Amino acid sequence: MPHDSEDMFEADNATRKGRGPVDHPTILGGCARAATAAEAKFRVQYPNSAPRISRIFALDAAAAEAMYAVTEDPWNDAHFLTLSAGGKIGPDTRAADLPLSHPDGRAANLLDEIAGADMVVLLATDGSSEGAAEVIARECFERKIMCAGLALGRTRAPEELDRVVNSMRRFTRVLVVAQDDDYIPAMLTALRA
Amino acid sequence: MLRKEINELLTETDTETPMGEMFRQYWIPALLASELAEDDCPPVRVKLLGERLIAFRDSKGRYGLMDEFCAHRGVSLWFGRNEEGGLRCAYHGWKYDHTGQCIEVPSEPEESGFAKKIKLRGYPLIKIGDVLWTHMGDKDSRPPAPIWEFATVPPEQTFTSKRWQESNWLQAMEGGIDSSHVSFLHSGGLKTDPLFRGAKGNQYNENDKKPVFEVVESEGGLHIGARRMAEEGHYYWRVTPWIMPSFTMVPPRGDHPMHGHFWVPIDDENCWAWSFDYHPTRALSKDERQAMMDGYGVHNQYVPGSFRPLQNKDNDYLMDREAQKRGDSYSGIWGIAMQDASLQESMGPIVDRTKENLVSTDNGIIMARHRLRKACLALRDKGVMPPGRVPEHHLVRSAARVLPPDQPFKDAMKDDLTARPGVKQTSV
Repeated sequence: MPHDSEDMFEADNATRKGRGPVDHPTILGGCARAATAAEAKFRVQYPNSAPRISRIFALDAAAAEAMYAVTEDPWNDAHFLTLSAGGKIGPDTRAADLPLSHPDGRAANLLDEIAGADMVVLLATDGSSEGAAEVIARECFERKIMCAGLALGRTRAPEELDRVVNSMRRFTRVLVVAQDDDYIPAMLTALRA
Repeated sequence: MLRKEINELLTETDTETPMGEMFRQYWIPALLASELAEDDCPPVRVKLLGERLIAFRDSKGRYGLMDEFCAHRGVSLWFGRNEEGGLRCAYHGWKYDHTGQCIEVPSEPEESGFAKKIKLRGYPLIKIGDVLWTHMGDKDSRPPAPIWEFATVPPEQTFTSKRWQESNWLQAMEGGIDSSHVSFLHSGGLKTDPLFRGAKGNQYNENDKKPVFEVVESEGGLHIGARRMAEEGHYYWRVTPWIMPSFTMVPPRGDHPMHGHFWVPIDDENCWAWSFDYHPTRALSKDERQAMMDGYGVHNQYVPGSFRPLQNKDNDYLMDREAQKRGDSYSGIWGIAMQDASLQESMGPIVDRTKENLVSTDNGIIMARHRLRKACLALRDKGVMPPGRVPEHHLVRSAARVLPPDQPFKDAMKDDLTARPGVKQTSV
């Protein structure tokens, strides 16, 4: 390629080198023409993936509020965690010291939570938890866990949203800036959380 | 993963479907202007959003797009005679003007006024750039005419083609915002394609195969930024805009023309892939235009006399396993357009999204579906007009640029991502 048009038309209607007649495959499923609606029924039906282990961290109070709205939905094996209020968290904070809790108030340990996780999602509405984001992202990086950030910005001024985005940019492989909280369940559902 | 009912909501575009109604709120590309090249030229059959239509250009240069079939006995007007200010059915001579209004029924006395009672459904057809655009929705909610930059620059600066894609529109469009496939599927084209090769930015692509993505909502749709490492800790950003429902642009490379697409449903199992190239500040060179006509870049070659790609599912897209082995092309399929189309068609006419396993880097696709769904339901349930209709939303560009690490692309590249007449594209 490229062929000139005549050559290619010839190829379209005649034969390809050593492959036999184009228009007469042995069976329909033996060529690209199998991509028809009728052939779709022959696609093998089976569950093609094991459940994922997802961990979602709300990094500030407003993010936690948005997250709590969906924690009762039927998820696969997702854990929803929040940073407990109080205490300064810097990038030097030890992973074990990160004050995390489950929605029911039980304390959680970062390393226990991300052990074996497939995906981590960080939720933030302000830039106040950059230190926590770094701690979580660092541990994910060391364990080769995909870490995604979701900046929620519906009620935020642009400069405030920038702070959120900047606070997560260095630590996530994917960063999404969404205007509405309803992107949380949309994203988690799409990712089979 | 998408639930079955949402997959159906987003992929079905015939009349009276929610997504069909949403598409009917926009001006969409219907034909190349060259398909109706002169007054009284032959009419052209067109199928859009599941409706069989006929397009013609009458004796006064007025464009018409209307129901393909004569109201009398259901004969296709493609057999008709385009003459003296209207399209006349070849069966019994009924004649229609460019709006679909019947203006002559030879068997009835003219004085009876019978012709006035017959009207085929008709849609406006307007020429902007190389494209004839139509609006298939309610006249009362018709948006202003489109002002996409590719269609409004001088003719010598732009080139548009279209091809038939044998798949639903959504899986084709999703390819346009799926930046993560470029490093694999199109890797060969960066070195060889005359409309891509030679740009400095290509080197960044080569050196960093694991881009990091940022997806940012815009008023009209999305910006999807892919960043790769550049020199001295800087980031090389490539930003793809998506404007609802189906306009996408490819980030530019060097001084090559900019590329983009419209994905327009023909019916639920077929769509038109519109592809354009333009340069904001200079005429396309003879070589560039020839390369586009030869199927390079985002364009393709055709089965002569049709808009069907020469590489198609009937010939396994002329798969070349040797080229695949050599690394000339990653998939063994020649040409960027057909590399995409072959894989998207292989998914089946309407891909079953309940079975897919998306990952975080698919967030551009996830967000686009989310916004389409919301807009579709808001229109259906509350009559809220969807984004992307107003001309201001059309003033977008893709862009590529190297930025310091602390600068968000959405701010630092705001101007770069805005179409500005007479200003060159931002590219690396």
